[in-house]
Amino acid sequence: MAKKSDISKTISRRSILKAGALGSVAMSAPMFYAKNAWAESAIGNYPIEGDTVMLGFNVPQTGAYADEGADELRAYKLAVTHLNNGGGMLDTFKPSKLTGSGILGKKVDYVVGDTQTKADAARTSARRMIERDKIIMLTGGSSSGIAIAQQYLASEMGIIFMAGLTHSNDTTGKDKRRYGFRHFFNAEMTGIALSPILAETYGKERRAFHLTADYSWGHTQYDAMKRGTEAQGWTTVNNLMTPVGAPDFSQYLTEVLSSDADILVLNHYGKDMVNSLSQAVEFGMRELQKNGKTMEIVVPLFSRLMAQGAGSSKIQGVLGTTNWNWSLQDEGSQAFVKAFEAEYGFPPSMAAHTCYCQTLLYANACEVAGTFYPPEVIKALEGFEFDGMGNGKTLYRAEDHQCFKDILVVKGKSPADKTGEFDLLELVGTTPRETVTYDASIFGGELGPYEPA
Amino acid sequence: MNYLFLQVLTGLQISALYMLIALGLTLIFGTLGVVNFAHGALFMLGAYFAVVISDAFGFSVALVSVPILLFIVGIILERGLIRFFYERSHTDQILVTFGLAIVIGEVLKTIYGANNLPFAKPSWGSGIVKLHEYLPFLEGFVAYPKWRLILVVVSFSTVAALFLLLQFTRFGLIVRAGMRDSQMLAFLGVNITRRFTIVFGIGAVIAAIAGLFGGPITQVEPELGMKLLIPSFLVVVVGGMGSLPGAVLASLLFGMALSFTAKYAEIQQIIIYLLAVVILLVRPRGLMGKKGLME
Repeated sequence: MAKKSDISKTISRRSILKAGALGSVAMSAPMFYAKNAWAESAIGNYPIEGDTVMLGFNVPQTGAYADEGADELRAYKLAVTHLNNGGGMLDTFKPSKLTGSGILGKKVDYVVGDTQTKADAARTSARRMIERDKIIMLTGGSSSGIAIAQQYLASEMGIIFMAGLTHSNDTTGKDKRRYGFRHFFNAEMTGIALSPILAETYGKERRAFHLTADYSWGHTQYDAMKRGTEAQGWTTVNNLMTPVGAPDFSQYLTEVLSSDADILVLNHYGKDMVNSLSQAVEFGMRELQKNGKTMEIVVPLFSRLMAQGAGSSKIQGVLGTTNWNWSLQDEGSQAFVKAFEAEYGFPPSMAAHTCYCQTLLYANACEVAGTFYPPEVIKALEGFEFDGMGNGKTLYRAEDHQCFKDILVVKGKSPADKTGEFDLLELVGTTPRETVTYDASIFGGELGPYEPA
Repeated sequence: MNYLFLQVLTGLQISALYMLIALGLTLIFGTLGVVNFAHGALFMLGAYFAVVISDAFGFSVALVSVPILLFIVGIILERGLIRFFYERSHTDQILVTFGLAIVIGEVLKTIYGANNLPFAKPSWGSGIVKLHEYLPFLEGFVAYPKWRLILVVVSFSTVAALFLLLQFTRFGLIVRAGMRDSQMLAFLGVNITRRFTIVFGIGAVIAAIAGLFGGPITQVEPELGMKLLIPSFLVVVVGGMGSLPGAVLASLLFGMALSFTAKYAEIQQIIIYLLAVVILLVRPRGLMGKKGLME
């Protein structure tokens, strides 16, 4: 008995040694084949097995931003088609290493999740896509609260998050993460770009009343607009926080009416903006005379979908900023609009545009890095400067992962000036990238390490 | 003075919509004993019918046809679904009607999308009313949207009409008797079931009126039903389950509270819940609830 156990011990010791040797050889093997492999360990869902790369599109399919989510999804599907087969902005985006045959030789596939326009639901569905579907990159979202929640989750799990529509300063400010990137512009840029044009159009002696959506985005939007307009000589009379999704704003509008303000700034987005704007018009605020001036309404963050919801009779002449509009004539925008219209029969929204760009930017960064290894992909995106995606020359700033590009100031078209159903916004000015570039440190926050703990 | 007047007017106007929705809710609860969580969805259905018909044929056609349509929907609902739940617990009633509300919301979203449908007011109802021209105690320029004033008038007229119907007609008498003791009424040879079906239909008609006149204010979107159901349900509970005057009183209270706290966001967003807690703690049956009911 004793002898037998001795033998088994020797055998097991030997096999362990053998296995160990084999293991170390196996582990060192990739060194000879993959670039930078000596530093690479498993992060998130890297390394990818098989010849398909999975991307996760987490968009609101239900809830307040469902229509935006549907448009984002259309853009994502188009981006996947173009990555696999060429076409669209692949022909205009430069410098680009995209070939139109997948990413790094792997075919691009995707899974879709529903954020339900709620942060907790967004996290659950993102986690499911990361753990079950093994996605290498997460993207999507409408609303900053949801984007920030996903960004934290993705960073903890070592998955790169390419934010969709999010406009709060916090996303690339105090809540910025090493694994999060934003192509969309933000509230600070809106404040810088819009304020001079407001002062030019409505004069410097103006008194503004703000109504603000009570969450991350609204707060930073109010703050940026207040600073921007006060620098132009305006006075801020008051600001009221309104709950997200309120069906009736009359109680706040009554306060506006009773004040001595002659400008109403609506820091609202989506349905909230459609509702508050419609109701402000209903209360006669666009014809009212205050302090000897005609009262005006300002919508800092404007989108074509929102303009459509409010109707052009209400938005005509209203000033705001937008990330992108389908009527832009540069070749990148035109290539995207053409491809999108051919596929779906109508022009894309600014939400669709930013999501499409983000997917291509990620794919290109992988090609540049020569690997899907997240820290290398992140380094390829940081400080990357490109053109041919609309908005002119654009920089992904390394310090906060925010894109800097020209900002569009737009005005609602009157029903008479419209040339079609989707022709709702008129470009009144472009604020150059240099003007809207601010110091990366003003909002605080830390990007954190390249390799998640 | 102007400020105070505007605040009161706004409070009145907020309560007008709550009142219309709560009225239907409390009427159905008071007579049929059913907690109808699908009532918000009925209101929303009314608003969708209203905006679609009004866009196609004009508001006056909608004004006539939407209440009739909703009456039919109400009857079908009561006969096809709700009547099977009269004898079941309130929990079952809430579950089935809540489920129904979700189904209606999702169907509307599939057909019309998640965004707002803009609801254009008829020409006779748009624009503002210059109140200072009629009310000499106001100083300077005081205007209010005409449509919102119409909503207040419509809302109070509906309350009055319902009150008259229940207090001074034979139908009302039978329904009120049925509320007390439906078994006894059945023994007396009165077909109370048919009356109750009609009451449910009337509840749906009030929801249609709310949709017709409330839709242009709130805009029409598939989550509207739930957004208004919760405060309206609170109105019913605070007013006293099944009490019509209670619903009127509680909605006025809520409307004023929302209007007068608009400046203070921290309080405003919870004010109606705060009021509900305080009132129900002091008076569990609600402001005008019957003694022993839901106490």
